[in-house]
Amino acid sequence: MNDKTTALIAEDEPILAATLAATLGRLWPELAIVASVGHGQAALERALALQPDVLFLDIKMPGKTGLEAAEELAEQWPGSKPFPQVVFVTAYDDYAVQAFDNAAADYVLKPVSDERLARTVRRLKERLGTRPAGGGMDALLEQLRALVPATAPAARPERLSLIRAAVGNQVRMIPIGDVLYFEALDKYVNVVTCDGEALIRTSLKELLAQLDETCFWQVHRGTIVNSAAVLAAQRDELGKLTLQLRGRPEKVRVSPLYAHLFRQM
Amino acid sequence: MRYLFISHDAMTDSAIAAPAATPRPFPWRRLALDAAALAVLIVICALIITYAFGNGSQFLRNLAISACIGSIAFSIIDGVRLWVWRDERRPHWLAFAALVGVGVVAGQVLGARLAGLLLGMELRELHTLGTTRTSGMLLFTLLTTGGASLYYTSRDRLIRAQAAAAQEKARAEAIERQALQAQLQLLQAQIEPHMLFNTLANLQGLIALDPARAQRMLDQLIQFLRGTLSSSRAETTTLAQEFALQEAYLGLMAVRMGERLTYSFDLPEALRGQRIPPMLLQPLVENAIAHGLEPTIAGGHVTVAARRDGDRLVLSVTDDGRGPDAGPGKEGTNVGLANTRERVKALFGARADVTLAANPGGGAIASIVLPIDQP
Repeated sequence: MNDKTTALIAEDEPILAATLAATLGRLWPELAIVASVGHGQAALERALALQPDVLFLDIKMPGKTGLEAAEELAEQWPGSKPFPQVVFVTAYDDYAVQAFDNAAADYVLKPVSDERLARTVRRLKERLGTRPAGGGMDALLEQLRALVPATAPAARPERLSLIRAAVGNQVRMIPIGDVLYFEALDKYVNVVTCDGEALIRTSLKELLAQLDETCFWQVHRGTIVNSAAVLAAQRDELGKLTLQLRGRPEKVRVSPLYAHLFRQM
Repeated sequence: MRYLFISHDAMTDSAIAAPAATPRPFPWRRLALDAAALAVLIVICALIITYAFGNGSQFLRNLAISACIGSIAFSIIDGVRLWVWRDERRPHWLAFAALVGVGVVAGQVLGARLAGLLLGMELRELHTLGTTRTSGMLLFTLLTTGGASLYYTSRDRLIRAQAAAAQEKARAEAIERQALQAQLQLLQAQIEPHMLFNTLANLQGLIALDPARAQRMLDQLIQFLRGTLSSSRAETTTLAQEFALQEAYLGLMAVRMGERLTYSFDLPEALRGQRIPPMLLQPLVENAIAHGLEPTIAGGHVTVAARRDGDRLVLSVTDDGRGPDAGPGKEGTNVGLANTRERVKALFGARADVTLAANPGGGAIASIVLPIDQP
């Protein structure tokens, strides 16, 4: 480890970002802050470009949250490089602190206390010294799996059995069993069946709460798939997992976060 | 306090008073109550005719005659009165006098004939106009009917007055409840721990990074806290004070958001002293930031303005953020707007309103319209 350890800070409040950088400068002088960005998309792009060793991600940022940025980074990370250590930064009420503890995630609370940050720094140094290749990503995915559901709304008792989708000037009735997959598009969700597609105005999160989780699986941030429609799962040349569906030519991508659903028995 | 006075036209169609848009059904219950009073009156009349005018005999005959005359006169007078004016409006006295006249004559003539039929006797002297006996009886019927009518209408007036007083009381209570609720919400929302925490986190950072700026930020925080506390206890505040409070709040937010937030104020000199209920602008400014600007990467600009439009005061908070259709920018029920609307409707009735619309140049514009006291 003759080259310096590098870090990226993603925080939308400039003073808090500067404060975190200054505190890290005191507690960890040999750490180089290679980028400081104000929103999730920039965090993703800069992290991919600079490949720092450590990421400090604020949870609540405009555009993408810290959790979403981390998840997308895991999707797009080149397999050859060691994955960065991720530390989440959160205001006291952004997420249940309990959830972070349960997920064994590294997190610091705002306002950041020296003592707490010093402990985080010690842990990071230990892990960076004994880093197995790819271990960082597995650890992060493990944490995200525990964290992401914690932020989803609780499942509602009433189950959706019929989708009512406006197509042109008619309302099309789609039995839930006919749906191959749901795909998030901005403010809408695209409902894909064997014989067509229709848009409904809802969020994937809300939809998920009304679906039977034994049939419908979330396989990506933006995709829920009908497990009965999955013909096969395969890895492409980049090591990314995709699904082949019955009755549709297109492939559905699986986020590393949900890859465990398709391991062989 | 002039400003909090509720005028009568605000009373008629307020958010709290039930709107009188649909025609009321015929007041059968009132008619039944009146009929019960009539029965008592008929017995009294029969007693008077039998023992005061007569020789104390034939009470039942007189009771039957009284009942016939009274019922017909009553049916015509009270029936028409309730049909035309229901039981909530006062009839015009001339129209009512004419109605009593018709009712009395018809009651006397038809009632006496009916009584004659029932009793199997000829009561010519009671229903032929022009005979002395008929005139005397007519006068007696007129007096009793007039008296009864006066009794009914005055009692109705009393009931109307009681209803109005009850309505007024309900309004006053509702306003008090609104004020109390608003006060509680102020204390909860304004000194919201979340906002305070974030501000303190910034302050903590600034103390090390830039002590002079930290000092300025602390001054703004003190001004904001003092403002929210004092205005949550006051009945009214001036526009100048309300704007100063928003300036402190936006100043704090601008420290947090850095270059992502700019803001400006437009308060005409003539309106600086105008009194308004406290903390009306706060929820609107908070919404503009939380739902309009904070979720966007670029941030934007907030303008807080006041202007006079004839006899109305228009306060507006404009932002160039995501616009009103973008959905909530953060968790939270959008209560700020609804509460503010309820609050001004309770205070000023239908003449006040709170609206949220898309800003033609992008973003949202939230407006509060209040009636203004003429100079």
